[in-house]
Amino acid sequence: MSEAAAIPAELAEASSARLTWLRFKRHRLALWAAGFLLVSYIVVGLCEFFAPYDPNWRNPRAIFAPPQEIHFFDHEGNFHLRPFVYGYELNINPETWVREYTEDPSRRYPLKFFSVGQEYEFWNLFNANLHLVTVEDGQYMHLFGTDALGRDIFSRVIYGGRVSMSLGLIGVVLTLFLGILFGGLAGYLGGWVDSLVQRAIEVIQSIPTLPLWMAMSAALPPHWSPIGIYFGLTVILSFIMWTGLAREVRGRFLAMRKEDFVVAARLLGASQMRIIFKHMLPSFTSHIITIATLAIPGMILAETALSFLGIGLRPPVVSWGVLLQQAQNYQVIVLTPWLLIPGLFVILVVIAFNLVGDGMRDAADPYGGRH
Amino acid sequence: MTRLILIFHLIVTSTAYVSASEIPTDSWPVSWSEPAKTASELNLTVFRQAPSLKARVESGELPPLAKRLPNDPVVLEPFDRIGQYGGTARVFHSDSLWSINSTEPFMTIDAAAGQILPNVVKRWEYSDDSKVLTMYLRRGVKWSDGSDLTADDFVFLHQHMMLNKEITPVPYPPWRDMKSIKLDDYSFRFEFEKPSPLFINTLGQLSDFFIIPSRFMRQFHADFTDREKLIERAREAGYISWMAYFNSILRWQRNDPPLAPTISAYQLTHKTPTTEYYVRNPYYWKVDTEGNQLPYIDAVRADIIESAEVMAAKAATGQVDFAGFPTRTQDFPLYKLGEKSAGITTLQWSRMTGSDIVIMPNFTIEDDRLRKLYWDSRFRKALSLAINRDEMNNIIYFGRGVPRQVTVNPSSVYFEPEFARAYADYHPERARELLTDMGVVDLDGDGLRNYPDGDELVLTVEFLDSEGPKAISMELVIAYWREVGLDMRLKLVDPALQQSRATGNLMQMTVWHADRTSDILFPIEPFWFVPMHLGWEEAHWNLWVTWFRSDGEEGEQPPDEIIQLREWWDEMILTPNPARRIELGKNILRSNAENLWSIGTVGLGPQPIVVSKRLKNVPTQGYWGWDNRFAMTYHPATWYLEQ
Repeated sequence: MSEAAAIPAELAEASSARLTWLRFKRHRLALWAAGFLLVSYIVVGLCEFFAPYDPNWRNPRAIFAPPQEIHFFDHEGNFHLRPFVYGYELNINPETWVREYTEDPSRRYPLKFFSVGQEYEFWNLFNANLHLVTVEDGQYMHLFGTDALGRDIFSRVIYGGRVSMSLGLIGVVLTLFLGILFGGLAGYLGGWVDSLVQRAIEVIQSIPTLPLWMAMSAALPPHWSPIGIYFGLTVILSFIMWTGLAREVRGRFLAMRKEDFVVAARLLGASQMRIIFKHMLPSFTSHIITIATLAIPGMILAETALSFLGIGLRPPVVSWGVLLQQAQNYQVIVLTPWLLIPGLFVILVVIAFNLVGDGMRDAADPYGGRH
Repeated sequence: MTRLILIFHLIVTSTAYVSASEIPTDSWPVSWSEPAKTASELNLTVFRQAPSLKARVESGELPPLAKRLPNDPVVLEPFDRIGQYGGTARVFHSDSLWSINSTEPFMTIDAAAGQILPNVVKRWEYSDDSKVLTMYLRRGVKWSDGSDLTADDFVFLHQHMMLNKEITPVPYPPWRDMKSIKLDDYSFRFEFEKPSPLFINTLGQLSDFFIIPSRFMRQFHADFTDREKLIERAREAGYISWMAYFNSILRWQRNDPPLAPTISAYQLTHKTPTTEYYVRNPYYWKVDTEGNQLPYIDAVRADIIESAEVMAAKAATGQVDFAGFPTRTQDFPLYKLGEKSAGITTLQWSRMTGSDIVIMPNFTIEDDRLRKLYWDSRFRKALSLAINRDEMNNIIYFGRGVPRQVTVNPSSVYFEPEFARAYADYHPERARELLTDMGVVDLDGDGLRNYPDGDELVLTVEFLDSEGPKAISMELVIAYWREVGLDMRLKLVDPALQQSRATGNLMQMTVWHADRTSDILFPIEPFWFVPMHLGWEEAHWNLWVTWFRSDGEEGEQPPDEIIQLREWWDEMILTPNPARRIELGKNILRSNAENLWSIGTVGLGPQPIVVSKRLKNVPTQGYWGWDNRFAMTYHPATWYLEQ
């Protein structure tokens, strides 16, 4: 059976967007990763609803409490349709001073879904108290355990995700804007503009990134509000990361300026804008999308690294980097390993973005590449 | 004086606030809280030395033991038993500086920092007006280079360093106004302008820095040697001045010899960027109760490590023999776990701090609105009442500290229970009322309070996170303050920044640990209660301190309450009458209890002391702090390594 004959009629007439989607679907891992990211963004976007607690709320009865297990069967072996966690019995070991938590069978805390819990301010817009899952007032549920001050790691991971993951997105949008702007200018206009942009890129790229980040974030005034620091950091990261993209865009423009279809368009009297946006840009969107997708995890890692070093975001802002910074001591590994859970999510999200980027690269060029 | 302090100790009865942290005095050998006995008093006539020294004597490198020891050496009773000679102790550099080497001041103090005991100065007397202090030295004590310790070494600091315009460009009291006179080789006296009955407190606690190996150091002092050649030598060694060269030799701040000799148990031989190497002082002038010359341990190797995490990990895994200075309360479980696997023992000592955290608003900050806020006692009371000290005690100190306002230790003669209770209860509602009362309310509806004129109110607390659980405490404190609507930020700074920003009057608020709360140091250094000090510990009222120091010529005139406070203290250090001194001290502390010039959290917390299984004779209980110079009173020269 020849290949041409195998193409069904509907495919032959499908739009490019549909082809892209069909192609993307074939990349199984990318599909899963995209699903994971979608769910993640929904969760962090609506984190007030999904997190059972405020990230800075302290439970003084549970300092360094390990993750609570979700049970369906109680200690006597009875099945409960409604899952539950057990309350903890705290015992500070007089010998080792370790806080030892044991499940107290007499305190069964059933999970309540879509129920009323701690009050929160949704997106700073209105007050609400509906949570996906919560427990009765006076009971507590710490699925990922708690930290030194008794704060719920589960809620902190979700709130931290909002900051870290959105910082990646916003940062990449800025990066794209800067990269396409400067790369496009350099590539299309050429001449001294090109030289200037090229030299600027070289200078920026020649400085080791970590010290440059450190210097720039040290320049953020300490009295700025957490939101100000957040945007400041985004701007800093994109200011450094646009250079790679700009190079890419410039190269493409240079190469394409002389392509037949561009020449043809020009001879047909198309305006410059039309040539750039209708003819040239679409032919390397796949590239841009790939680079953008692959840049997001870079951003997330950069934020995490800076906050981990104590020069990025600072408490009371909760980000994954801030959470990991608080986990960077020897005691965590030995006694409270659950404080490292945020690191797991950093890894998952970064891998997911890389897989999606991979899938996108293939899909964005549905007519070419490997089959 | 010594006797008087003792008597007052007996008068003061203990209260409920005491029990949590008081260590019974029979936890240590009785001889430790008495003037040290000498060999003749104990009929010791035969002395022995370490095998490693014996070999050096036989090779003719060292004189025999009898020539090295004083005729009548001081006898130290080991905590547990007579030790074995030999071995190399491993510590961190902060412990080599503050713990494991013996600290040898003029006089010394007891473990509870309550009384002054003889050391190299074996006897002293004050004139009736407390203006002349005459001191008599033990005979035959030698420096580690074999030269004699004489009265010259005790007046050198004053005559040739404190009054030398090159080393000390601006002389300061008491050195500026006093005289030091050598009477003969073994006696000398200090003459003061004003009565100075408390100068012996300084001598007991700090004066190991005041004894200078004058014969050795003269070759590096421009007054005693060819200036041009000295400057040349300093330049060659990489120093900008002969004074810097002099100082680095004297204070062991160089990597290689020349390094000043010592009368302590160990002598620094050299340093690399990562390690310090000490060897035993063959001339050390103390012996154990069987006549064995101390110290027992041959050498000390100290790792130079900056990271607290790395030190915690190394201590918990048994890679040092003693760790006390860098260990942190919150790491207790870590060290305790190490007991099972790493061959260490974790002792629980008591931190000798009136409060582990002392929060100091800067009353003389260059920001009028902030100043007005801080000066309003309602603001300070609100800050204090908003702190949940019981919760802090449970979270940070495992419930083993004492929630209290910053004030002196419970065993102090200046203590009153109400000083410790003042505004130390948790009353967030009352705190909110006080703030609202002041007009500090939330005007823009963001849940955080504003300045009365509507501007955003954000306070920044800058501090150095060392010696105690400062960062975690402040994280909690900031959370408590947010609960009453105050927006505060934390900023951790490094030592250099702490030094420059605190002394430069640039910090809005800073944090230290309230030591100097014992009977030895509170009367002479009431840092947290009276404007009398400029240093990296505080950024509290710098311009007022300058005003007092310059007799009103510089700085800024403080309000009347503060002048009154200072007058009490000025009289307190002058009066020879102990009863009056106690009355004045209590006035000062009462003023803090009423006005909260400084705010405290939890005091007398547990201090983990990590000891390897092979290191013996370390007391199981002890006070840990600057007031009793960390391990000084537990005689580290008697510690030994089991072979």
